[in-house]
This record gives sequence, structure tokens and C-alpha cells, in this order.
Amino acid sequence: MKRLLQTLIWTAVAVLGAVALGTIAFHRGEPINATWFVLAAVCSYLVAYRLYSAFIAAKLLALDNSRATPAERRDDGRDFVPTNKWVLFGHHFAAIAGPGPLVGPTLAAQFGYLPGTLWLIAGAAFAGCVQDFIILFCSIRRDGKTLGEMARDEVSKRGGLIAQLAVLTIMIILLAVVALVVVNALKSSPWATFTLAMTIPIALLLGVYLRYFRPGRVLEASFIGVALVLFVVVAGQWVADSPYLAKVFTLGGVTLAFTIIAYGFAASALPVWLLLAPRDYLSAFIKAGAIFSLAAGILLVRPQVLMPPLTRFVDGSGPVFAGKIFPFCFITIACGAISGFHSLISSGTTPKMIQREGHARFIGYGAMLLESFVGVMAMVAACAMTPGVYFAINSPASIVGATPEAAAATISSWGYPLSAGTMTGLAHAVGEQTLLNRAGGAPSLAVGMAQIFSSTIGGERLLGIWYHFAIMFEALFILTVLDAGTRVGRFMIQELGGRVWKPMGRMNWMPGILLSSALIVGAWGYFLYQGVVDPLGGINSLWPLFGISNQLLAAVALVVATTILLKMGKLKWIWVTLLPMAWLVIITMTASYQKIFSANARIGFLSQANALAAQIAAEKIAAAKIADTQRNIFNLRLDAVVTAVLAVMILVLLVEALAQWYAILSRDKAPVLQETPYVATQWAEGD
Amino acid sequence: MRTLRLQLEDALRNFWRGVRQWSGDSAYETYLACAERQRAPKPLTATEFYVEQLNRKYSRPNRCC
Repeated sequence: MKRLLQTLIWTAVAVLGAVALGTIAFHRGEPINATWFVLAAVCSYLVAYRLYSAFIAAKLLALDNSRATPAERRDDGRDFVPTNKWVLFGHHFAAIAGPGPLVGPTLAAQFGYLPGTLWLIAGAAFAGCVQDFIILFCSIRRDGKTLGEMARDEVSKRGGLIAQLAVLTIMIILLAVVALVVVNALKSSPWATFTLAMTIPIALLLGVYLRYFRPGRVLEASFIGVALVLFVVVAGQWVADSPYLAKVFTLGGVTLAFTIIAYGFAASALPVWLLLAPRDYLSAFIKAGAIFSLAAGILLVRPQVLMPPLTRFVDGSGPVFAGKIFPFCFITIACGAISGFHSLISSGTTPKMIQREGHARFIGYGAMLLESFVGVMAMVAACAMTPGVYFAINSPASIVGATPEAAAATISSWGYPLSAGTMTGLAHAVGEQTLLNRAGGAPSLAVGMAQIFSSTIGGERLLGIWYHFAIMFEALFILTVLDAGTRVGRFMIQELGGRVWKPMGRMNWMPGILLSSALIVGAWGYFLYQGVVDPLGGINSLWPLFGISNQLLAAVALVVATTILLKMGKLKWIWVTLLPMAWLVIITMTASYQKIFSANARIGFLSQANALAAQIAAEKIAAAKIADTQRNIFNLRLDAVVTAVLAVMILVLLVEALAQWYAILSRDKAPVLQETPYVATQWAEGD
Repeated sequence: MRTLRLQLEDALRNFWRGVRQWSGDSAYETYLACAERQRAPKPLTATEFYVEQLNRKYSRPNRCC
């Protein structure tokens, strides 16, 4: 009877999910209610978790709760700490959820709501969750080894080196692109700039409090910090209203870029307890609060989605970024569906804290489903605003014009009606001078969030506060990624440098710290500057580069997973990792090829560089702008080289893995798994 | 009624314990309990543990994109 009831409930969930998916897929003409998106996503996740993750856990991985995990065997109260599965789920989710699932879907909304939403749901269920879950399992069975170590042990030494280089490359591109998102959100906005600037002294205050007065009392310090941050969000309005202070905090893109570069250097070189860690605490609480509030807001307000399912820009002529749905929708969504970076978390902290192997399914697969849901909510928030407003905020001035009148005329001519008054009125309502030309996703997401929040609390009157709360939330946790990433990059450079010159590898040697901090900051700072001065807005070139490198790392993780599964004798089920891996290789290769060689100057780096060079040769560029144009040409060629290097990396790794797979399948070589030996758990079943 | 109240108190206590573990607020207590179990001769002080734990945590990828 119980079994029959369960079958009926799951059938109902599956049918409801199918109806919701069908509704959002085939709805045409009228706006559609956001409730359908929530239903489609939640029902699909439930079915995927109930069926697909259970199948992987049982057939592919054969999770064994009688086997002691690293947390049990090596419990040291520091790294290896057995942790309750719900707490570890929260830990893991807080670590994997970054700005990617918010920004990516917002940018991909230029194709309409449908392609992005479908990929967010299907990509997570069949690729992203699978990667996170299986890499977590592999790392648990290897005492918490990192992805690079597993690639070296299970694929080849060269595979390990490629994984390390891929991590460093993605780190540099990632840091540049997230910094660019912050620059575009803060430029010419005294309110937002003041609010974010104030989080630095607040973090320093908390750092000193936690180090000298109440060591490790994170909760009380975080409550004080969150209260102060909320206060400065409100105080930002007074700054914006003061003629003198508004002038001080009104900064241009280049100034903001250099300020963020200096901040990154300081955060990397200063003691971690002073600035980085307290910012991370603040960010974690505000992130959890904002994501929960957005979900609650969408459920309460149930906004109408005004963006059509497909826009005219599916042909690749999009103003936000150029390129067709295939492969650029997948490259742009990235983290909300599958993120290579997650494999670093799944093979880092989490496997050392897991209590039971069986928890890997809930934590690895489940946390990624939640991340995908965040992506769907971001898509809803972006698509709930008028399409004309969305395009005005996210398109660069070189395409739509720099004035409200020009932008309104251009965007209306595309078939998305917009008046100049709408843009000036909206900017005024959220307390900004302008909302035009703010590519990067953060401001349009903030407008979407503010509209949803203000429909619940405060109405139009609080639109400005909500907008700046959303901007602060996005910028705060983007900067947390930036400073934590810069520090990790510094360690990687010190480690690599230590192989060449010993003192460089000493982590507390000050000249080494300063030099490696300068190198990593200089690397991402260069790409950031390039993005800020790019006439096409920077996002057009940097976000696809980020997407390619991120998906490349995911392909690396799936190559490692596939090799391990083959060694485990799971040939029958190998398609579980092989298909998403093949898909990622296809999209990264296609995107890389198009970004390098496309004849369309808005897509291909080389053709854009050649077009600019031809303009200089034909003397069509003013003498004063020739130096800038030449620098732009150099940057475009550099981007082409970086893209090619990324593509070659995955090809080399694939060849290495194919040789390894052939040897295993042809029985030339006995498969040697580098798992730690089985040790029976000492804990009772209920522990 | 009393059972319900006890259950509610229990749930709240568990929730609070979970929040403290998630945020790292109880990390030192966990470390001390482990050091006691393993009879460590001289456990770190709260400040030493806090700084050492942060240095380890932020030397590897712990925040994602």
C-alpha cells in the first residue's frame, strides 16, 4: 500500500513537471507566470534526484555506508571533521554558489527565457550534478585528494599538470570577469560605490574583533557586521544626495578597475584574518539571506515573465554578446548548469568532512540542484522586466547609443518598445543617474530583484534601497570570490615558483608573497583593464572566455571521472560521464573555434583585430585614437591565443585519456585504482 | 502539549547547533573535543586555532564562481 502511494505521488510530481515544462516551452504571445518556471524546475529536480542520482549511487558508484570515510579515519578536528549531512550540505552549497549562476542566466536571457531555462534544468540534472557527485565520491575514496592529484594518479602525470594549469588559467579569467561585473555595477554610482567601499572598514573591524577580542566567535561578529552593512546601504542614499560626497564616490570605469586591483593585492598580501575572512563571513550570511529572499519574493509575487521564449537574437546578432544559441547559450550559462570550478570544492574541503559515503548523493548531487534553482530564479528576475529595459541596461553604448533617446530608438527598432522616459524614470526611481550600458548582468539582476522585493515590501518608495541592497549583495560576494581567488592564485604561483627557486615556495617569505601577489593580480588586472576599455563593453569578449575555461575544467573533471569509472569496471554505465564530457568538448571546441576564427568581427577575435588594423591602414581612425586602437588589436590577438591554449589543453588531456582507456579496454594494462584500502566504519548505523 | 514544547525546543537547539557548525562558530569546541579524545598533549589556544584554521582554509579553492 505504501509503495503504491509512493508510486502515485512520484507519478504526480513527474506529470506536473512535464506539464510545467511543456507550458513554458510551447507558450507563445502572452506573458507567462513565473510560477510555471518554479514548478518545472522543482518537479524536474525532484524526479532527477529520486531516480537518476539513486541510479548513479547504486549502479555506478555502489556507495558503501559500511566503509569508513576520511573524516572518520583521520579525524583531527581541523581538516578532517565528521559533519552532520545538513550542515555539510550548507557548507558545500555556500562554497559552490558564486556569482556565475546569477550573472550567466541574466546574460543568456538575451536569447529569450526558453533556451537558458531548459539548459539550466537539464544541464544540472545530467551534467553538473553528475560531475559534482562523482568527483566528490572519487575524492572520498582517495582521502580527499584534489582534482589535480587524481588526474595525475589516475590519468597521467601530464594530465595532472594540465589540470593544474587549467585551474590557474580559469582563476585568472574568472577573477578578471567578476571584477568587470563589479566595475560595471559601480561606475558612476556614488550610492553603490560608497556602500561597497564601507564594507572594507566593516570587515577590518570584524577582523580585529575576531582576532583579539572574541577569537572565532563568528556568529556574533557576523550579526554586528550584517547590521552595519544594512545601515551603510541606507546611508548610501544620503551620500548620493550630498553634492560633495556624491562627487567623491562617483568613479569612472578605469579608476574603479585600478581600485579593485589594489584591493585584490591588499587582500592577497595582508594576513587572512584581517580582511579576507571577515568579508567572507559577511558575504556568506548576506548571500544566504538574499537568495532565500529572492526565492520567497518570486513565490509571493509570482511575477509575469515579459521576455518572449525566443528573441530575434537567436541568430547570433545579440547586443549583450554576439554568437548563436549553439554554443554560446551553454558557454554563457556555465555555472548554473555545470561548473568545472565545483570539482575543486568537491575534491577539496567537502570529502574531508563527510560522515558517510551515502551522504555524497545528497551533498554532491543535491547542492548542485539548488545552485541550478538559483540560476532559474535569476533567469526569472531578468525576464520579468520589460525586454526593452533589459536590453538598454545590458547593451554597450557602441551598439545602442549612450543617451536614453538613442537607446530607446535603437531598441524599439528591434521590436522591443522602449521610451527614453522609461529609462530615465527607472534610473531616478532606483537612485541612479543612469542605468544605460551596464553590461555584466549585475545591474539588470538588481533591477529585477528590486522590482520583486518592492512588490512585497515598501512599493516604489523602497525601490532604490532594494536596488542598492541587491547591488551590494552581488558586489560583496563577487569581491569575496575575487580576494579568496587571488590568494589561492598566489599560493599556486608560489608553489610553482618554488620548483624553480626554493625560497619562492616558502609561504611566509614576504618578498615571495609580494611578488606572487603582484603576478596574480597583474594577470587578472590586465584582462580587467582590457575589458573596461573595450568599446564593445568587455563582457562580449571576457564572459565567453570565462565560460570556455570553466567548461574546459568541467571536461577535465569528467575525463578524470570517466577514467576512474572504467578502472572500476563500470563500462556498461560509462555513458553517464562520457556523454556530458563529449557534450562539453563539443561546445568548448566550437566556441573556441568561433571566438578565434569567426569572420563576424563581433564574434571572432582575429577578424575584429584585422578589421581594426584595416581601418588604421585606410586612415579611418583619428590620429588621437590610433594608440588605443593598436592596444585593442593586441588585446584581441592575446584573447585569441588564450582561447587556443585552452582548446589545446583539453585536446592533449583527451589524447592522454584515450590512450589510457584503450589500454584498459584492450587489457594491455591492468587497471590500477589508487583508492585507499577499505576500512570498516566503527560507527553505528544511526550515527 | 508538553511533548510538543520539548520537541520544538529540541528542534530549535539542533537548528542553532547546525548554524554554529555551518558558520564555524563552534569550530574551536569541535577541535578541543577531538584533541581531548586523542589526548593531545598541548592543544592550541582559541586565537592560535582561529588564525591557523583561516590560513589553511584560504590556501585552497574554497569559494566558487
